Amino acid sequence: MPASTPSSDPVLAPPPRTSLWLGLASVIALVTAQTHAILTSPPDADMGHLQKIMYVHVPAAWMTFIAFFVVLVFSVRYLWQRRENDDLLAASAAEVGATFNGLTLMLGMIWGRPAWGVWWVWDARLTSTLVLFLIFVGYLALRAFVDDTDQRARWSAAVGAIGAINVPIVYMSVTWWRTLHQPPSSPATLDAAYTLGLRLNAIALLLVLIYFIRKRYEIARLERATEHAAEAVAMGGR
Amino acid sequence: MIASNQTFIIAAYAVTWVVILAYLLRLVRKGGRARAEYERAVQLERQERQS
Repeated sequence: MPASTPSSDPVLAPPPRTSLWLGLASVIALVTAQTHAILTSPPDADMGHLQKIMYVHVPAAWMTFIAFFVVLVFSVRYLWQRRENDDLLAASAAEVGATFNGLTLMLGMIWGRPAWGVWWVWDARLTSTLVLFLIFVGYLALRAFVDDTDQRARWSAAVGAIGAINVPIVYMSVTWWRTLHQPPSSPATLDAAYTLGLRLNAIALLLVLIYFIRKRYEIARLERATEHAAEAVAMGGR
Repeated sequence: MIASNQTFIIAAYAVTWVVILAYLLRLVRKGGRARAEYERAVQLERQERQS
């Protein structure tokens, strides 16, 4: 075997496979948490059983925030240390975050129609959440269209870091402006009857988030390792 | 009113699962393709080094 083969080169080494057990555990946790919430949570005084949508809508929004916080941390770290894996991890978290952000918007619309009588209003919370979604769709489009890997990493790290600054604006929008959207739901602001269900669903969705980011990062590293191997072939195996 | 609310609750949980399972399926398929391409690229590189 040559001295520097793809399996011995740290850049070309294939990443370890993301545990299937984590994926299975997250699905089982989500089914259990949702079943518990649907079966045990009492109807809300104002909204009745519509309140059950909170168990999917609120955790989806929290996962969006967590994913974009990961984007911020690893984008800044990339800009500082220029480590390729930081760029790949930020991009993986951005894709997963955009997915949860889209889910949050859809669930909000499904909840808004019976609660407010409209699918959508241009209030501060909904608009800032949409802006956040569009920023990260733009981030993913940027990565798809820029071929040069260094340039792509630098530009997307800048967009990712600036985009993630929108997260506290989204979170505080219901406090800073008059909105149709209710104040943030959290175990601190909820009746005790709903807190366990919300916590369980948040933990279950957090497992899903971790699995998705790890799996997407594994794929990103494989793709990058493939690019490196192809470049090595193009340069005559050096 | 209660029946129509139930429709929205079912829709919310259905959308959640559709999005999660669709993204999972995308990751599984993309991961399979990426690993196959990686194996092919590595094999090519090994052949190049040996020749």
